[in-house]
Amino acid sequence: MLKKIIPLVCCMLGASLWGCSQQSPVKNASEAHTADLFAMDTYMTLKAYGDNAEKALTSATNRITELEGMLDVTSPSSDVYKLDNANGNALTVSPDTASIIAAGIEYGRLTDGDLDISIYPVLKEWGFTTGEYKVPDKQTIDSLLADVDYSRITVNGDSVTVPEDMQIDLGSLAKGYTSDAVMEIFREEGVKSAIVSLGGNVQAIGKKPDGSDWSVAVVNPFAPDTDMCIVEIDEKAVITSGNYERYFTDDEGNNYWHIIDPKDGCPADNGLVSVTIIGDRGIMCDALSTALFAAGTEKAVSYWQNDKGFDMILVTDEGQILYTPELSGHFRNVSNMPAEVISVA
Amino acid sequence: MPKGVKIVLVITVILFAAAVVAMFVFNRQADRKTVEIVQNGEVIYTLDLASEKDRSFNIDSPDGGYNTVTISGGTICISDADCPDHTCIKTGVLRSETIPVVCLPHRLVIRFAEEDSQ
Repeated sequence: MLKKIIPLVCCMLGASLWGCSQQSPVKNASEAHTADLFAMDTYMTLKAYGDNAEKALTSATNRITELEGMLDVTSPSSDVYKLDNANGNALTVSPDTASIIAAGIEYGRLTDGDLDISIYPVLKEWGFTTGEYKVPDKQTIDSLLADVDYSRITVNGDSVTVPEDMQIDLGSLAKGYTSDAVMEIFREEGVKSAIVSLGGNVQAIGKKPDGSDWSVAVVNPFAPDTDMCIVEIDEKAVITSGNYERYFTDDEGNNYWHIIDPKDGCPADNGLVSVTIIGDRGIMCDALSTALFAAGTEKAVSYWQNDKGFDMILVTDEGQILYTPELSGHFRNVSNMPAEVISVA
Repeated sequence: MPKGVKIVLVITVILFAAAVVAMFVFNRQADRKTVEIVQNGEVIYTLDLASEKDRSFNIDSPDGGYNTVTISGGTICISDADCPDHTCIKTGVLRSETIPVVCLPHRLVIRFAEEDSQ
């Protein structure tokens, strides 16, 4: 009898001990370190795993604050403010500012002006920078548009010239550039698993510590208090531009949103209400989400067909989701909108 | 069966059952929905939505102004506020780690607490 019971007792004790032993190593390996801050007119959360995570987070938050100091268009000590008030003279700026402006010019060129970092005076006229919204008359918009042209800005190393009658703002690129910069710090510190959300702009290093992909929710533009889809990513950025993010409604019930079409100086209304770009670099995703929103459905699709260096999810104003084929299997539609794959050619 | 063996068997079975119950309780904590309400970077409330009663309460901003937080059926949202943009209200209920409920003008954030955000 004893011979029969002893193995049973051993098995039960062994099972219990095994159950207990499962907790500690897994928990240590997956212990999250987090930081959060208000910066760049938004709320940012950073999460990293591993031995150097705490140090990496401190460096990352310092870097974000440093970049904010260079890029804040309203702060007289920033590079951008100084450039906007330099009366057309060349100024030496930080390498970060110079490279963001260079990227802005490049994405302006690539998207045929659908991204224009010199649209700022028009955005101001609509009140999107202050919250004192108004619908400007066409004459005012047209006179401001005469001085909107990214191609007249020059970058020579760290020397930048913004023409006298022009003002720039890097809001369409700053958060994407910043999340790239944070990823760079994380990699230097040997962080293998991390995710940041800079006001909804998400970027990740590697996978979750348990080996699964990160799940990123994308908001339903027709019901921003619900999600439209969940995207599974690893080592990617996910950045969305939507007409629900910042907008106002006039007395007649018309909505005006903050993404201005550089072609006519009015809120971009070319068939899209939300554009999500998924790619390797935050700055690319940030630039393209804004540019392709302004470009509209047809141009966005053809831009992707010619490039294919990223994935995207478009939502049309008729309530249809269009997504690139690579996302199949990593994309879960949780809305009641129909979703269709974009054709490759 | 000798008495000593019986005792060992009974103790083992009790220990095993206790371990199973303990593991069940331990794992159940993963189902908790703990959220934090953060004002100016300081956690001012930590709430377990699984056990919180349905209710609404106001959080006053140090600079004046308020946000009304509503807990209902295990969800949490900002239901009213006197901020100019009302982005916090439009966000709806807290549902994702990467989309916290944020009121920028009042520096108020509702987010999932770290141990439950996986």
